[in-house]
Amino acid sequence: MNLSRPDRLPRLDALAAEYVLGTLPSRARMRLARIARTDTVVAGAIRTWEQRLALLTEAVPPITPSPRLWRVIALRLGLEPVRPAAAGPWWSRLAFWRGFALASFTAALALGVTMLTQAPERADQPIVVVLAGPDAKPALLATMSRGDRLLTVKTVGGAPVPPDKSLELWMLPDGSPPRSLGVIPATGVGRLMLPALPDVALARVPALAVSLEQAGGSRTGAPQGPVLYTGAVQRMY
Amino acid sequence: MAAVPSSDKSARLAGLLSRIALGDQTAFGEFYEATSPHLYGVALRILRDPPAAEEILQEAYVNVWHHAGSYEVAKSQPLTWLTTIVRNRCLDQLRRRELDTVTLTADDDDAPAYDLPSDTMTPAEMLLAGAEARSVRDCVDALDAGPKQAIALAFYQGMSHSELARHLREPLGTVKSWVRRGLEKLKSCLDRAGYARNE
Repeated sequence: MNLSRPDRLPRLDALAAEYVLGTLPSRARMRLARIARTDTVVAGAIRTWEQRLALLTEAVPPITPSPRLWRVIALRLGLEPVRPAAAGPWWSRLAFWRGFALASFTAALALGVTMLTQAPERADQPIVVVLAGPDAKPALLATMSRGDRLLTVKTVGGAPVPPDKSLELWMLPDGSPPRSLGVIPATGVGRLMLPALPDVALARVPALAVSLEQAGGSRTGAPQGPVLYTGAVQRMY
Repeated sequence: MAAVPSSDKSARLAGLLSRIALGDQTAFGEFYEATSPHLYGVALRILRDPPAAEEILQEAYVNVWHHAGSYEVAKSQPLTWLTTIVRNRCLDQLRRRELDTVTLTADDDDAPAYDLPSDTMTPAEMLLAGAEARSVRDCVDALDAGPKQAIALAFYQGMSHSELARHLREPLGTVKSWVRRGLEKLKSCLDRAGYARNE
Protein backbone atom coordinates (compact mmCIF):
# COMPACT_ATOMS: atom_id res chain seq x y z
CA MET A 1 0.00 0.00 0.00
CA ASN A 2 1.41 3.35 -0.98
CA LEU A 3 0.60 5.59 1.96
CA SER A 4 2.10 8.73 0.49
CA ARG A 5 -0.41 8.91 -2.39
CA PRO A 6 -2.31 12.19 -2.05
CA ASP A 7 -5.73 10.53 -1.68
CA ARG A 8 -4.40 8.48 1.24
CA LEU A 9 -2.95 11.38 3.23
CA PRO A 10 -5.79 11.50 5.79
CA ARG A 11 -5.23 7.78 6.44
CA LEU A 12 -1.48 8.36 6.74
CA ASP A 13 -2.02 11.23 9.14
CA ALA A 14 -4.26 9.11 11.38
CA LEU A 15 -1.69 6.29 11.41
CA ALA A 16 1.17 8.69 12.17
CA ALA A 17 -0.83 10.23 15.03
CA GLU A 18 -1.50 6.86 16.67
CA TYR A 19 2.10 5.81 16.06
CA VAL A 20 3.38 8.80 17.99
CA LEU A 21 0.69 8.51 20.67
CA GLY A 22 1.63 4.84 21.00
CA THR A 23 -1.71 3.15 20.36
CA LEU A 24 -0.80 1.56 17.04
CA PRO A 25 -0.66 -2.25 17.51
CA SER A 26 2.70 -3.95 17.19
CA ARG A 27 2.60 -5.18 13.60
CA ALA A 28 1.19 -1.93 12.22
CA ARG A 29 3.74 -0.01 14.31
CA MET A 30 6.67 -1.97 12.93
CA ARG A 31 5.33 -1.73 9.39
CA LEU A 32 4.92 2.05 9.55
CA ALA A 33 8.40 2.50 11.04
CA ARG A 34 9.84 0.37 8.24
CA ILE A 35 8.09 2.40 5.54
CA ALA A 36 9.21 5.67 7.18
CA ARG A 37 12.84 4.66 6.76
CA THR A 38 12.59 5.08 3.00
CA ASP A 39 9.46 7.18 2.42
CA THR A 40 10.02 10.83 3.28
CA VAL A 41 6.31 11.69 3.18
CA VAL A 42 5.57 9.05 5.81
CA ALA A 43 8.62 10.08 7.88
CA GLY A 44 7.47 13.71 7.66
CA ALA A 45 3.97 12.86 8.88
CA ILE A 46 5.46 11.11 11.91
CA ARG A 47 7.88 13.97 12.65
CA THR A 48 5.10 16.53 12.50
CA TRP A 49 3.12 14.57 15.08
CA GLU A 50 6.21 14.19 17.24
CA GLN A 51 6.54 17.96 17.26
CA ARG A 52 2.87 18.43 18.05
CA LEU A 53 2.95 16.11 21.04
CA ALA A 54 6.49 16.87 22.24
CA LEU A 55 5.38 19.67 24.55
CA LEU A 56 3.21 17.24 26.46
CA THR A 57 6.18 15.37 27.95
CA GLU A 58 7.37 18.45 29.83
CA ALA A 59 5.28 17.91 32.94
CA VAL A 60 6.15 14.26 33.51
CA PRO A 61 7.50 14.11 37.09
CA PRO A 62 11.18 13.13 36.96
CA ILE A 63 12.44 9.93 38.59
CA THR A 64 16.17 9.63 39.29
CA PRO A 65 17.49 6.31 37.97
CA SER A 66 19.66 4.06 40.11
CA PRO A 67 23.39 5.06 40.20
CA ARG A 68 24.02 1.65 38.67
CA LEU A 69 22.75 2.96 35.32
CA TRP A 70 25.49 5.57 34.97
CA ARG A 71 28.11 3.04 36.05
CA VAL A 72 27.00 0.60 33.32
CA ILE A 73 26.96 3.33 30.66
CA ALA A 74 30.43 4.55 31.67
CA LEU A 75 31.70 0.98 31.74
CA ARG A 76 30.32 0.19 28.28
CA LEU A 77 31.90 3.27 26.78
CA GLY A 78 35.20 2.80 28.57
CA LEU A 79 34.80 6.05 30.55
CA GLU A 80 35.89 6.76 34.09
CA PRO A 81 32.89 5.52 36.10
CA VAL A 82 32.55 8.53 38.39
CA ARG A 83 29.53 10.75 38.12
CA PRO A 84 31.04 14.24 37.92
CA ALA A 85 28.13 16.36 39.05
CA ALA A 86 27.34 14.13 42.02
CA ALA A 87 30.91 14.14 43.29
CA GLY A 88 31.04 17.70 44.57
CA PRO A 89 33.31 20.56 43.59
CA TRP A 90 36.22 19.84 41.34
CA TRP A 91 38.92 20.38 43.95
CA SER A 92 37.45 17.63 46.10
CA ARG A 93 37.84 15.27 43.22
CA LEU A 94 41.61 15.21 42.91
CA ALA A 95 41.56 11.47 43.38
CA PHE A 96 39.21 11.22 40.45
CA TRP A 97 41.52 13.18 38.19
CA ARG A 98 44.55 11.25 39.36
CA GLY A 99 42.82 7.98 38.63
CA PHE A 100 41.60 9.31 35.36
CA ALA A 101 45.06 10.44 34.26
CA LEU A 102 46.47 7.04 35.10
CA ALA A 103 43.68 5.26 33.26
CA SER A 104 44.12 7.42 30.17
CA PHE A 105 47.85 6.84 30.25
CA THR A 106 47.41 3.07 30.43
CA ALA A 107 44.76 3.13 27.76
CA ALA A 108 46.94 5.28 25.51
CA LEU A 109 49.80 2.81 25.92
CA ALA A 110 47.54 -0.08 25.04
CA LEU A 111 46.00 1.67 22.08
CA GLY A 112 49.26 3.03 20.81
CA VAL A 113 49.08 5.10 17.73
CA THR A 114 45.70 3.75 16.62
CA MET A 115 43.97 6.17 18.98
CA LEU A 116 45.27 9.08 16.95
CA THR A 117 44.15 7.73 13.62
CA GLN A 118 40.74 6.43 14.69
CA ALA A 119 38.04 8.63 13.25
CA PRO A 120 35.40 9.42 15.88
CA GLU A 121 32.48 8.79 13.54
CA ARG A 122 33.56 5.18 13.30
CA ALA A 123 32.96 4.59 17.00
CA ASP A 124 29.78 2.68 16.29
CA GLN A 125 31.15 0.81 13.32
CA PRO A 126 29.90 -2.74 13.85
CA ILE A 127 32.21 -5.69 14.25
CA VAL A 128 30.53 -9.00 13.53
CA VAL A 129 32.02 -12.41 14.30
CA VAL A 130 30.24 -15.38 12.78
CA LEU A 131 30.67 -18.52 14.87
CA ALA A 132 30.15 -21.82 13.06
CA GLY A 133 30.66 -25.52 13.69
CA PRO A 134 32.56 -28.04 11.52
CA ASP A 135 29.68 -27.95 8.99
CA ALA A 136 30.45 -24.23 8.42
CA LYS A 137 26.80 -23.29 9.03
CA PRO A 138 26.53 -20.14 11.18
CA ALA A 139 25.37 -20.97 14.71
CA LEU A 140 25.91 -17.68 16.53
CA LEU A 141 26.60 -14.07 15.68
CA ALA A 142 28.68 -11.97 18.06
CA THR A 143 28.24 -8.25 17.42
CA MET A 144 30.14 -5.29 18.86
CA SER A 145 30.74 -1.65 18.11
CA ARG A 146 34.20 -0.12 18.29
CA GLY A 147 33.26 2.41 20.97
CA ASP A 148 31.23 0.07 23.14
CA ARG A 149 32.26 -2.73 25.50
CA LEU A 150 28.92 -4.48 25.13
CA LEU A 151 28.99 -7.68 23.10
CA THR A 152 25.70 -9.09 21.83
CA VAL A 153 25.39 -12.77 20.87
CA LYS A 154 22.50 -14.06 18.86
CA THR A 155 21.64 -17.67 18.14
CA VAL A 156 21.04 -18.22 14.42
CA GLY A 157 21.44 -21.99 14.21
CA GLY A 158 23.41 -24.77 15.82
CA ALA A 159 22.38 -27.80 17.84
CA PRO A 160 19.98 -27.55 20.80
CA VAL A 161 21.73 -27.28 24.18
CA PRO A 162 20.90 -30.07 26.69
CA PRO A 163 19.18 -28.65 29.80
CA ASP A 164 22.06 -29.64 32.11
CA LYS A 165 24.64 -27.83 29.95
CA SER A 166 25.60 -24.22 29.18
CA LEU A 167 27.30 -22.50 26.27
CA GLU A 168 30.35 -20.43 27.19
CA LEU A 169 32.01 -17.84 24.96
CA TRP A 170 35.81 -17.56 24.89
CA MET A 171 38.42 -15.28 23.43
CA LEU A 172 41.31 -17.24 21.90
CA PRO A 173 44.29 -14.90 22.25
CA ASP A 174 47.50 -15.42 20.28
CA GLY A 175 49.95 -17.39 22.37
CA SER A 176 47.98 -17.50 25.63
CA PRO A 177 45.16 -19.64 27.03
CA PRO A 178 41.47 -19.01 26.24
CA ARG A 179 39.83 -16.32 28.29
CA SER A 180 36.14 -16.62 29.21
CA LEU A 181 33.72 -13.87 28.27
CA GLY A 182 30.91 -15.61 30.10
CA VAL A 183 27.98 -17.95 29.69
CA ILE A 184 25.56 -17.19 26.86
CA PRO A 185 21.93 -18.21 26.57
CA ALA A 186 21.10 -21.42 24.72
CA THR A 187 18.77 -19.54 22.38
CA GLY A 188 17.91 -15.94 21.57
CA VAL A 189 20.02 -12.94 22.43
CA GLY A 190 22.62 -12.53 25.17
CA ARG A 191 24.68 -9.55 26.29
CA LEU A 192 28.20 -9.71 27.74
CA MET A 193 30.72 -7.07 28.68
CA LEU A 194 34.17 -7.20 27.09
CA PRO A 195 37.12 -6.59 29.47
CA ALA A 196 37.90 -3.39 27.50
CA LEU A 197 36.73 -1.59 24.36
CA PRO A 198 36.92 -3.96 21.33
CA ASP A 199 40.02 -2.34 19.83
CA VAL A 200 41.91 -3.15 23.03
CA ALA A 201 40.19 -6.35 24.12
CA LEU A 202 40.50 -8.01 20.71
CA ALA A 203 43.84 -6.54 19.63
CA ARG A 204 45.59 -9.90 19.95
CA VAL A 205 42.55 -12.14 19.65
CA PRO A 206 42.27 -13.72 16.20
CA ALA A 207 39.23 -15.83 17.10
CA LEU A 208 36.29 -16.43 19.42
CA ALA A 209 34.98 -19.87 20.36
CA VAL A 210 31.98 -21.42 22.09
CA SER A 211 32.33 -24.53 24.23
CA LEU A 212 29.72 -26.80 25.79
CA GLU A 213 30.14 -26.68 29.58
CA GLN A 214 28.35 -27.90 32.67
CA ALA A 215 25.39 -25.71 33.64
CA GLY A 216 26.63 -22.29 34.71
CA GLY A 217 29.91 -22.58 32.82
CA SER A 218 33.39 -23.92 33.44
CA ARG A 219 34.48 -23.84 37.09
CA THR A 220 38.19 -23.85 36.29
CA GLY A 221 38.56 -20.77 34.12
CA ALA A 222 39.50 -22.96 31.16
CA PRO A 223 37.18 -24.72 28.73
CA GLN A 224 36.35 -28.24 29.97
CA GLY A 225 33.85 -29.35 27.35
CA PRO A 226 34.07 -29.70 23.57
CA VAL A 227 34.44 -26.60 21.39
CA LEU A 228 31.27 -26.41 19.30
CA TYR A 229 31.74 -23.24 17.27
CA THR A 230 34.56 -20.91 16.32
CA GLY A 231 34.73 -17.66 14.39
CA ALA A 232 37.52 -15.42 13.15
CA VAL A 233 37.75 -11.84 14.39
CA GLN A 234 38.18 -9.65 11.32
CA ARG A 235 41.09 -7.28 11.66
CA MET A 236 39.58 -3.87 12.22
CA TYR A 237 42.27 -1.77 10.64
CA MET B 1 11.33 25.90 15.01
CA ALA B 2 9.02 28.84 15.22
CA ALA B 3 6.71 27.70 17.95
CA VAL B 4 8.80 26.32 20.78
CA PRO B 5 10.49 29.02 22.78
CA SER B 6 14.12 28.17 23.30
CA SER B 7 15.12 28.24 26.91
CA ASP B 8 18.36 28.58 28.83
CA LYS B 9 18.18 24.89 29.62
CA SER B 10 17.98 23.94 25.94
CA ALA B 11 20.88 26.21 25.11
CA ARG B 12 22.93 24.63 27.90
CA LEU B 13 22.09 21.09 26.74
CA ALA B 14 22.91 21.96 23.12
CA GLY B 15 26.26 23.34 24.32
CA LEU B 16 26.96 20.14 26.25
CA LEU B 17 26.08 18.07 23.16
CA SER B 18 28.62 19.91 21.04
CA ARG B 19 31.27 19.24 23.70
CA ILE B 20 30.23 15.57 23.88
CA ALA B 21 30.70 15.36 20.11
CA LEU B 22 34.36 16.22 20.79
CA GLY B 23 34.65 13.43 23.35
CA ASP B 24 34.30 15.58 26.49
CA GLN B 25 33.49 13.13 29.30
CA THR B 26 32.69 15.83 31.85
CA ALA B 27 30.10 17.30 29.49
CA PHE B 28 28.65 13.82 29.02
CA GLY B 29 28.34 13.39 32.80
CA GLU B 30 26.63 16.76 33.15
CA PHE B 31 24.29 15.98 30.27
CA TYR B 32 23.37 12.70 31.93
CA GLU B 33 22.73 14.42 35.27
CA ALA B 34 20.54 17.05 33.63
CA THR B 35 18.46 14.74 31.45
CA SER B 36 18.28 11.23 32.95
CA PRO B 37 15.61 11.89 35.65
CA HIS B 38 13.24 13.26 33.01
CA LEU B 39 13.91 10.44 30.54
CA TYR B 40 13.67 7.79 33.27
CA GLY B 41 10.39 9.30 34.42
CA VAL B 42 9.01 9.03 30.90
CA ALA B 43 10.36 5.50 30.31
CA LEU B 44 9.36 4.01 33.66
CA ARG B 45 5.79 5.28 33.39
CA ILE B 46 5.43 3.55 30.04
CA LEU B 47 7.27 0.30 30.77
CA ARG B 48 6.65 -0.12 34.55
CA ASP B 49 9.76 -2.26 34.62
CA PRO B 50 12.92 -0.64 36.07
CA PRO B 51 15.48 -2.98 34.41
CA ALA B 52 13.77 -2.56 31.02
CA ALA B 53 13.57 1.23 31.41
CA GLU B 54 17.22 1.37 32.45
CA GLU B 55 18.19 -0.68 29.42
CA ILE B 56 16.42 1.74 27.07
CA LEU B 57 18.20 4.68 28.72
CA GLN B 58 21.49 2.83 28.54
CA GLU B 59 21.14 2.47 24.77
CA ALA B 60 19.99 6.07 24.42
CA TYR B 61 23.04 7.47 26.24
CA VAL B 62 25.46 5.18 24.41
CA ASN B 63 23.97 6.64 21.23
CA VAL B 64 24.28 10.19 22.56
CA TRP B 65 27.97 9.60 23.21
CA HIS B 66 28.53 8.25 19.70
CA HIS B 67 26.18 10.51 17.76
CA ALA B 68 26.10 13.81 19.64
CA GLY B 69 27.59 15.38 16.53
CA SER B 70 24.59 14.48 14.40
CA TYR B 71 22.13 16.33 16.62
CA GLU B 72 20.74 19.30 14.70
CA VAL B 73 20.01 22.33 16.83
CA ALA B 74 17.68 23.75 14.20
CA LYS B 75 15.33 20.77 14.15
CA SER B 76 14.40 20.29 17.78
CA GLN B 77 15.44 21.01 21.33
CA PRO B 78 17.85 18.48 22.84
CA LEU B 79 15.49 17.14 25.47
CA THR B 80 12.62 16.88 22.99
CA TRP B 81 14.88 15.03 20.59
CA LEU B 82 16.01 12.55 23.24
CA THR B 83 12.56 12.12 24.78
CA THR B 84 11.13 11.24 21.38
CA ILE B 85 13.80 8.58 20.89
CA VAL B 86 13.27 7.10 24.34
CA ARG B 87 9.46 7.11 24.08
CA ASN B 88 9.66 5.39 20.69
CA ARG B 89 11.94 2.65 21.99
CA CYS B 90 9.72 2.11 25.03
CA LEU B 91 6.61 1.85 22.88
CA ASP B 92 8.34 -0.51 20.45
CA GLN B 93 9.22 -2.76 23.34
CA LEU B 94 5.84 -2.54 25.02
CA ARG B 95 3.91 -3.33 21.85
CA ARG B 96 6.32 -6.15 20.97
CA ARG B 97 5.90 -7.59 24.47
CA GLU B 98 2.14 -7.70 23.95
CA LEU B 99 2.66 -9.53 20.68
CA ASP B 100 4.87 -12.10 22.44
CA THR B 101 2.55 -12.71 25.36
CA VAL B 102 -0.78 -12.52 23.62
CA THR B 103 -1.25 -16.29 23.61
CA LEU B 104 0.24 -16.89 27.04
CA THR B 105 -1.66 -14.70 29.44
CA ALA B 106 -5.02 -16.33 29.93
CA ASP B 107 -5.35 -14.78 33.38
CA ASP B 108 -3.93 -11.36 32.66
CA ASP B 109 -5.06 -8.76 35.10
CA ASP B 110 -4.62 -5.04 35.22
CA ALA B 111 -2.00 -5.09 37.94
CA PRO B 112 1.16 -3.43 36.68
CA ALA B 113 4.42 -5.28 37.28
CA TYR B 114 5.82 -2.29 39.11
CA ASP B 115 4.23 0.38 41.22
CA LEU B 116 5.27 3.89 40.34
CA PRO B 117 5.93 6.39 43.07
CA SER B 118 2.49 7.87 43.54
CA ASP B 119 2.25 10.87 41.30
CA THR B 120 0.72 14.04 42.55
CA MET B 121 -0.73 14.53 39.08
CA THR B 122 -3.00 12.26 37.09
CA PRO B 123 -2.12 11.67 33.42
CA ALA B 124 -4.89 14.07 32.41
CA GLU B 125 -3.41 16.74 34.68
CA MET B 126 0.06 16.11 33.23
CA LEU B 127 -1.43 16.69 29.81
CA LEU B 128 -2.58 20.14 30.86
CA ALA B 129 0.47 21.03 32.92
CA GLY B 130 2.74 19.89 30.12
CA ALA B 131 1.25 22.28 27.65
CA GLU B 132 3.30 25.22 28.78
CA ALA B 133 2.32 27.65 26.11
CA ARG B 134 -1.13 29.05 26.51
CA SER B 135 -2.60 28.06 23.15
CA VAL B 136 -1.49 24.43 23.60
CA ARG B 137 -3.12 24.36 26.99
CA ASP B 138 -6.27 25.77 25.47
CA CYS B 139 -6.28 23.04 22.80
CA VAL B 140 -5.88 20.28 25.37
CA ASP B 141 -8.47 21.87 27.60
CA ALA B 142 -10.94 22.00 24.72
CA LEU B 143 -10.99 18.19 24.44
CA ASP B 144 -13.96 16.36 25.92
CA ALA B 145 -13.31 14.46 29.15
CA GLY B 146 -13.30 10.99 27.54
CA PRO B 147 -10.88 11.71 24.69
CA LYS B 148 -8.68 13.77 27.00
CA GLN B 149 -8.32 10.94 29.48
CA ALA B 150 -7.79 8.30 26.78
CA ILE B 151 -5.06 10.35 25.10
CA ALA B 152 -3.35 11.11 28.40
CA LEU B 153 -3.29 7.43 29.48
CA ALA B 154 -2.00 6.32 26.08
CA PHE B 155 0.64 9.06 25.92
CA TYR B 156 2.03 8.81 29.45
CA GLN B 157 1.43 5.17 30.33
CA GLY B 158 1.65 3.52 26.91
CA MET B 159 -1.82 2.00 27.14
CA SER B 160 -3.10 0.20 24.04
CA HIS B 161 -6.68 0.51 22.80
CA SER B 162 -7.75 -2.62 24.68
CA GLU B 163 -6.03 -1.52 27.90
CA LEU B 164 -7.76 1.84 27.62
CA ALA B 165 -11.11 0.09 27.16
CA ARG B 166 -10.51 -2.05 30.25
CA HIS B 167 -9.18 0.81 32.33
CA LEU B 168 -11.93 3.25 31.40
CA ARG B 169 -14.63 0.54 31.39
CA GLU B 170 -15.85 1.55 27.95
CA PRO B 171 -16.41 -0.50 24.78
CA LEU B 172 -13.34 -0.84 22.56
CA GLY B 173 -15.06 0.99 19.71
CA THR B 174 -15.84 3.98 21.92
CA VAL B 175 -12.27 4.24 23.13
CA LYS B 176 -10.86 3.94 19.60
CA SER B 177 -13.08 6.74 18.36
CA TRP B 178 -12.21 8.92 21.41
CA VAL B 179 -8.54 8.56 20.55
CA ARG B 180 -9.07 9.21 16.85
CA ARG B 181 -11.38 12.18 17.31
CA GLY B 182 -9.28 13.60 20.14
CA LEU B 183 -6.14 13.53 18.01
CA GLU B 184 -7.94 15.12 15.05
CA LYS B 185 -9.28 17.89 17.23
CA LEU B 186 -5.92 18.45 18.88
CA LYS B 187 -4.28 18.62 15.48
CA SER B 188 -6.59 21.20 13.95
CA CYS B 189 -6.47 23.32 17.10
CA LEU B 190 -2.67 23.17 17.40
CA ASP B 191 -2.15 23.83 13.69
CA ARG B 192 -4.45 26.84 13.90
CA ALA B 193 -2.31 28.08 16.76
CA GLY B 194 0.80 27.54 14.59
CA TYR B 195 2.32 24.78 16.72
CA ALA B 196 3.63 22.40 14.12
CA ARG B 197 4.66 22.90 10.59
CA ASN B 198 5.02 20.35 7.85
CA GLU B 199 8.59 20.39 6.71
